[in-house]
Amino acid sequence: MIMACENCKSNIEADRAALCSRVDAIIARVGGARADVIPLLQALQEEFSYLPSDALERVYERTEITRAELLSVATFYSQFRLIPYGKHTIKVCIGTACHVKGASTVYDAFRRELDIAEDSVTTADGRYSVEKIACLGCCALAPVVQIDDQIYGHVQPGRVKAVLAEHEEYLKSHPQTSSDEAEADKYVGEVRLGMENCCQVSGTAEVYKAVMKAQQELGIAIKIKPISCVGACNQVPMIDVVDKCGNLTRYPNVRPQEIKEILLHHFPAASIFKRWKNTLLNQIDILHTDQTWDNILYTPEKERTGEINTFLNHQVRISTEGYGHINPLDLDEYRAAGGFEALRRVLESKNRDNIIDEVLKSGIRGRGGGGFPTGRKWQVVKSAQSEQKYVICNGDEGDPGAFMDRILLESYPLRVIEGMLIAAYAVGAKQGIFYIRAEYPQAIVRITRALDMCRQQGLLGKNILGSDFSFEIEIFKGAGAFVCGEETALIASIEGRRGFPSQRPPYPAEQGLFGKPTLINNVETLSQIPYIIKYGYEKYAEVGTTNSRGTKVFALAGKVRHGGLIEVPMGTTIRQIVEEIGGGVEGGEKLKAVQIGGPSGGCIPAELCDAEIDFDALNRLGAIMGSGGMVVLSQSDCMVDVARYFLNFTSEESCGKCTFCRVGIRRMLEILDKLCSGRGEADDIDKLEQLALAVRESALCGLGRTAPNPVLATLKYFREEYEEHARGYCRTGTCKDMVKYVVTDKCIGCTRCAKVCPVEAIEYTPYEQHAIDTDKCTMCGLCIAECEFNAISKMPLKSR
Amino acid sequence: MKITIDNQEITIIEGETILQAARRNGIQIPSMCYAEGREHRAGCMVCTVKDVATGRMITSCSVKPTEGMQIDTRSDDVVRQRTMALELLLSDHRADCEAPCTLVCPHHLDVELMLKAYDKGDYAQAKAIIRRTFPAELGCDNCKAPCEKACRRGAVDGAVKIREIIREVVEMKDLPNVQAEESIARTEKDIFFSRIGIFSDKEKEQLRENRLTPSRCLHCACDGRAECRLRRYATEYGIKRSRYGLVSKQPFKLCIAVGERLRFEPAKCIRCGLCVYNSENGFTFVRRGFDMQVVIPEQNYANVNEELASVCPTGALYIVR
Repeated sequence: MIMACENCKSNIEADRAALCSRVDAIIARVGGARADVIPLLQALQEEFSYLPSDALERVYERTEITRAELLSVATFYSQFRLIPYGKHTIKVCIGTACHVKGASTVYDAFRRELDIAEDSVTTADGRYSVEKIACLGCCALAPVVQIDDQIYGHVQPGRVKAVLAEHEEYLKSHPQTSSDEAEADKYVGEVRLGMENCCQVSGTAEVYKAVMKAQQELGIAIKIKPISCVGACNQVPMIDVVDKCGNLTRYPNVRPQEIKEILLHHFPAASIFKRWKNTLLNQIDILHTDQTWDNILYTPEKERTGEINTFLNHQVRISTEGYGHINPLDLDEYRAAGGFEALRRVLESKNRDNIIDEVLKSGIRGRGGGGFPTGRKWQVVKSAQSEQKYVICNGDEGDPGAFMDRILLESYPLRVIEGMLIAAYAVGAKQGIFYIRAEYPQAIVRITRALDMCRQQGLLGKNILGSDFSFEIEIFKGAGAFVCGEETALIASIEGRRGFPSQRPPYPAEQGLFGKPTLINNVETLSQIPYIIKYGYEKYAEVGTTNSRGTKVFALAGKVRHGGLIEVPMGTTIRQIVEEIGGGVEGGEKLKAVQIGGPSGGCIPAELCDAEIDFDALNRLGAIMGSGGMVVLSQSDCMVDVARYFLNFTSEESCGKCTFCRVGIRRMLEILDKLCSGRGEADDIDKLEQLALAVRESALCGLGRTAPNPVLATLKYFREEYEEHARGYCRTGTCKDMVKYVVTDKCIGCTRCAKVCPVEAIEYTPYEQHAIDTDKCTMCGLCIAECEFNAISKMPLKSR
Repeated sequence: MKITIDNQEITIIEGETILQAARRNGIQIPSMCYAEGREHRAGCMVCTVKDVATGRMITSCSVKPTEGMQIDTRSDDVVRQRTMALELLLSDHRADCEAPCTLVCPHHLDVELMLKAYDKGDYAQAKAIIRRTFPAELGCDNCKAPCEKACRRGAVDGAVKIREIIREVVEMKDLPNVQAEESIARTEKDIFFSRIGIFSDKEKEQLRENRLTPSRCLHCACDGRAECRLRRYATEYGIKRSRYGLVSKQPFKLCIAVGERLRFEPAKCIRCGLCVYNSENGFTFVRRGFDMQVVIPEQNYANVNEELASVCPTGALYIVR
């Protein structure tokens, strides 16, 4: 017995010693200064998959960071977890686009399918953990789920089982992709395929494998080229086939089994024998499977969709210049297309004031949300007297329903870097920081590689392009806090503190990071700078409206037929975007409203959608430009629920510092919860409005002051829906507590609903009209989706 | 530099805030999260004033004045914003300013104070407190005992038998004569009273098992009320109760003994952070948003001293009497 105890004791000590040495190694690598706390915690979490308390205690013993600080930072950012998770983590995106497409039922479905206990997030066997995540930025594929590093799109509650099976399959196979470069002569042509998140989700990997296999079978060599996002995220996977003469044919929505046919159409097989063999094999395929029967193969894009050209051609490209044919990480290609031309010119001119003047005259306003003139910001930073100045690229795109910055960083990393270099030169900064949220691993990888390439080519570091200008850029991974999009909170987090915004003035332009003058520009703003310098401010200013120049990149998502990344000139109307670019509301429903600006923005009702996209026009309508999330809402969306959704988001993302934001938003949310659950009272709406106005007037920072916008805008345009809710009626049936599911007499008794119901609320009664046990029913919506006869409807408990 | 506050011209001393300038000139501005000479960060929003030129509400405790600034500290909209800030803070402040028994006693006996002495076993003190109210005859015999009806324990497992205890103490013989402790209870009608609201089932169960003092009294009255600015301002701004109701889910009377005499009750904390900013590796914030709490890890107890209690604007951090 004594022996055993001694053993245990020595085992525990050995474990602790091992843990300490792992922690010590991380401290040695990352550093132990107070400002290193976030990277340090990130490294610890990567090592242990959570933050064990012993590890934190070790950091406290070994560094100058105090226990109080560690606890404070580790619990502020949503990336960090203090309890161990399962082997695989399922992240269910609850961004706006996913929310309107039923993300919360998807989350419930995963929990139900994996049989996770109520007070836990992990399965009993420790294999899976499920969590909600603010936004994965793949809004065109809503609802989206990420398991480990794999992203799965269009995950309806009914697909949950299949997705889990698919992931288990993936874990078994673990496909390895290799890319070996060879001279161009070897190739008979080129296949370009998008490698962005959305594309990868929709099966680009499968397409890639099919291309590899096909060229082997056909005995030809085809260059496979990964390209940046073309923005048609709803048409993926998409490939472009380019023959030797440079003719391009685009195939949207391709399937792996079509690849060989497509390639054969463009490129003859290598030998007569192979041609003959292929014909034969295809014959056999056709005889044995029906896969090649179900569609006419190799139909070029127009015949396939008819609309894709409208989707892409209505746009003006500045930030996304070179879409579809530029490899994000091909420096030579970017330079060949005029990249770094602007930087060269700037460095040769040696006239900082001229550069700022150009930017000022172009009329460009910050794309991060506020719309502050970029040139003016630059002026302030330039005129600040300091040896050290910083430039920060704000890529902490936290809006649920927005993914512009992600795509720009992933697809046009070099352009953003160029913009940053120009800004740094103009204001006289030596040090730059890319602040990118950790939820965008692909963007971090791309930017890291792009920075390395720039360093090798003398575009970064000492004496850039032989000039006397030296500039270095680092990457800081945001740890998950929406409030860190706010400049002062962003600075606080880089300095290793909680993301508490601080009083302005002093503005960061005067006293920012570590007390030094700091220029903070949004990703999109910086990506437009090279264009202004290269083509001149006149050309830039030609695009757009009087007060809002240039273009704006939007993430178009929600109930729209073609979602994706779009770049339109300012002054385009909202209706044009929805109808002409987006192809109208999906499923033939009527447009109800367009939500612009995310949690800080508002809903613009359909009748006002002829308004032009312009900073000031949107403000007047009660929305804001924001960072550019645009979520289309149809008649089946409940506006009170939409307001509640955003308030729920801001109440979770509030930093907690000021009373109005911390408590005020929570009390507003409680009122909305009451309204949405049918417990509303007549004076709730007035109470809500009073609170909303007070929070807007008095909260300390931009997040708090704009947080009531979704409520105020919906109150302004859809007040009658609030009044109906106060009486216990939800016209769209979205608010579950006000409806019940009923089977109508359209039912033929096919039993499909009974089979699909996860909680056995529908009895198996073949050839009889089914009935739903409302006590058991969780209203997950699976039966409605399954029923082919539209026989299940949501019936309001109270009449209008 | 000169500015005007409520149309009164004021010369600014270099570096001071609007709040400091106003107070120096006898203009009262309430504030919770500010403590003279201490590190603080604006958050409570009770010191809100209006910048007349822009119409914006600003926090006077942290904004430095600029030349010619016009500040308004008492117009209706300023008062409205401050009142709302106070009400929001109160809606998440779970405390009884006064014990209900003391509040309702028709003879103004500080019942809770007496029971405190009783629970300590200091019967002489308990008797002295009773005798101060009833020098000759006990008024309890013919009383309908609203104290027992009001007792919070009544909702848990039966009210404290207050009259029996009073009788028991009064009848005790050979107790030394002592000076009765001063009562700090303020029961005037025009004063604000915070209330804890109802107990959850879980709390009831815990109370049944754990909070057993000899008298069974829960000692609802707030020990830090004498210094509580939340109560003072709520009274000044005429708040009777928060319009958001008694919705706080904070743990009732969870009391952490940080030092020998230093106590911390999270349910009364308004998250101003003064104790966080003014202790080194002591108190800290955890989580964010509405769930943000002030905590102190056990290993850090030794890093704070009693003096810190003086920065707390409510009865959340106090020294036991």
